[in-house]
Amino acid sequence: MSSEGDNGMERLYAERLARYTTAMRNERPDRVPIRPFVAEFTARHAGFTCQEVTHDYDKAFVAARRCAADFDWDAVVSNMVYVWTGLTQAIGMRYYGVPGIDVPPDVGFQYLEPGEGEAFMKADEYDELIANPTAFLYNVWLPRVSSEIVPPGAASSYRSNLALVKGAMAMMQYFGAFGTQNAQLRAESGTVSAIAGIFKAPLDILADKLRGYVGLSMDMCEQPDKVLEACEALMPHLYHVAKTTADPLQQVPIGYWMHRGCVPFVSPAQFDSHYWPTVRPIIEELWRHGHQTLFYAEGDWKHHLESFRELPDRSIVYHVDQADVFDVHERLGDKFCLSGGIPNFLLSHRPAGDVREFCKKVLDVVAADGGYIMDASAIMQNDTRAENLRAMTECTREHGVYSGSPSSPPPAPIVAEGSLPAHGGSTTAPGQCIEWATRAATLPTIEGDADLVEEVWNSIDSLGNVFIWQWLLSF
Amino acid sequence: MPVDQELFDAVRQADRDRVAEAVRAAIDRGAPVSSLLMNSMVPAMREIGDRFAAGEVYIPEMLMAARAMQAGLDIIEPLLGTSDHEPIGRVAVGTVKGDMHDIGKNLVVMMLKGSGYEVTDLGVDCPVEKYEEAAAGGATVLCCSALLTSTMTYMEQVVGRFQKDPAIKVIVGGAPVTQRFAEEIGADGFAEHASEAARVVSACLAGE
Repeated sequence: MSSEGDNGMERLYAERLARYTTAMRNERPDRVPIRPFVAEFTARHAGFTCQEVTHDYDKAFVAARRCAADFDWDAVVSNMVYVWTGLTQAIGMRYYGVPGIDVPPDVGFQYLEPGEGEAFMKADEYDELIANPTAFLYNVWLPRVSSEIVPPGAASSYRSNLALVKGAMAMMQYFGAFGTQNAQLRAESGTVSAIAGIFKAPLDILADKLRGYVGLSMDMCEQPDKVLEACEALMPHLYHVAKTTADPLQQVPIGYWMHRGCVPFVSPAQFDSHYWPTVRPIIEELWRHGHQTLFYAEGDWKHHLESFRELPDRSIVYHVDQADVFDVHERLGDKFCLSGGIPNFLLSHRPAGDVREFCKKVLDVVAADGGYIMDASAIMQNDTRAENLRAMTECTREHGVYSGSPSSPPPAPIVAEGSLPAHGGSTTAPGQCIEWATRAATLPTIEGDADLVEEVWNSIDSLGNVFIWQWLLSF
Repeated sequence: MPVDQELFDAVRQADRDRVAEAVRAAIDRGAPVSSLLMNSMVPAMREIGDRFAAGEVYIPEMLMAARAMQAGLDIIEPLLGTSDHEPIGRVAVGTVKGDMHDIGKNLVVMMLKGSGYEVTDLGVDCPVEKYEEAAAGGATVLCCSALLTSTMTYMEQVVGRFQKDPAIKVIVGGAPVTQRFAEEIGADGFAEHASEAARVVSACLAGE
């Protein structure tokens, strides 16, 4: 591409970034940004099966870029088909249903909830988790979720050692590839990579990956104090993951994937006692450091919108799934940018005219004063009709234009001292596995530059932390 | 008025140990097991379901009550086979082909059992053939669950298979499923949430 072409694409990227970030700060850009969360739809559009994009992330990346270019969207997630089976196969991860293996080749991957008696953490293991979450994940959780890795004390095996090496190297390879993918999205189509970093609520982590939903529900009734203590122990670690994976330029938000913390999966009292008090301080702390969080409110969180109002203005982008987008707009629109709310059923099973009509109404009402991003309710799979996505896109370009000068995003908040406990109740600092003091005690007195030795130790040790917490949160 | 107030209260209060004790005590007194089930345990679960529908209790309380009831059923079920007990209906519940999600389906199973139905859990990823087997085995109501818009369309195939068989009713439900979708594919019923499934099954069996 010529340098003029490069400059043109850079200008387009800058224009889109400004549009997207202005809307996310709940202000009015030049027009409503379009940022569809397209997952397996990208495969269908690019002529791949679900199996191909799940097993071969290069194909998933190509599919995402082709969609971004063909639909000319402002921002996309660089790979919404986030599970790469090369990685999950490397350690024999048990909890995914994989296309071509567990489900048909053209069905998207799915999370397999373990049965009540087969949860990856037992009801009497809270104290061990609380004492040192990182060590618990390595010693107890990983050998249970992996078909290959053996627990401490068991005889080491060829397959176990291989699984750890392959898993770690595959993760580095995969994460490294995202840098190139984001750069290509920017250079080829001027598209913004929509989110950076990951956060999940402590209670959701317990339900999703540790105790299972049914197990946790029982624990909430039978040992609620232990559950709360575990949530509190997880907080600094989950904050650390969110903070260290966030966009260093503070432009795009951290993805916060919300699962079963809402009524009726929990009672309002449980939300007040467990869920919200262990999420709110993290969101506030992230915002104090200039990071917005994108609440992907899967399901319907209508019972909790008043709680979300407790957060600072503009600190989050609230994504509407099954809730009524007009109701959410009335109740949150003055404080936060909203996204989504276009029903997937409409996009998959109704004519384009119906899509256009609904989108027009959302643009007229929800987007009227800015602070809205066009998207479907839920992540789009391969049942979404291309003509309906075109209708959504064209309708936004036609009716989502604001008159007058666009507002500019307000400055990021001033960084202030936070209120999160540094370690929670655990013995190991977030971001570390074996702290320097422990290592140093095994070494003779270090001569020369002791700080350098410590720095390198901490840096390499933190990779072990990234590995296990990314398994827990991202895969 | 429940026949055994203690058993009724124990299920309602989700006290597993008390349920088991109350069932054993009632059996020792010579109470008919069918009556214990239908006149004490089922009404307690029905009350929980009604309170869920009214927004007074939530899924964790339903799960606890269902688990308490199961403690009683574990004792009663082997005895039901030797009594003249006839279940109020035979129902099969499964998540449709291509869909591996089972939390919603499991809740439906619990609530239907709690309502006195004989329930066959077909599991997840169920092709039409699994529903056919269930129907051949005596189930007259087939419940289809799905979590994804990409898999819910399979329900149409299950409905289509049994459309010409008036003895078999097909009910659909799951997060993306709506009344409108259920009507469009010709399903016999739609349950918006797990606690409603029993009411919908009952209405189907009554020919409503």
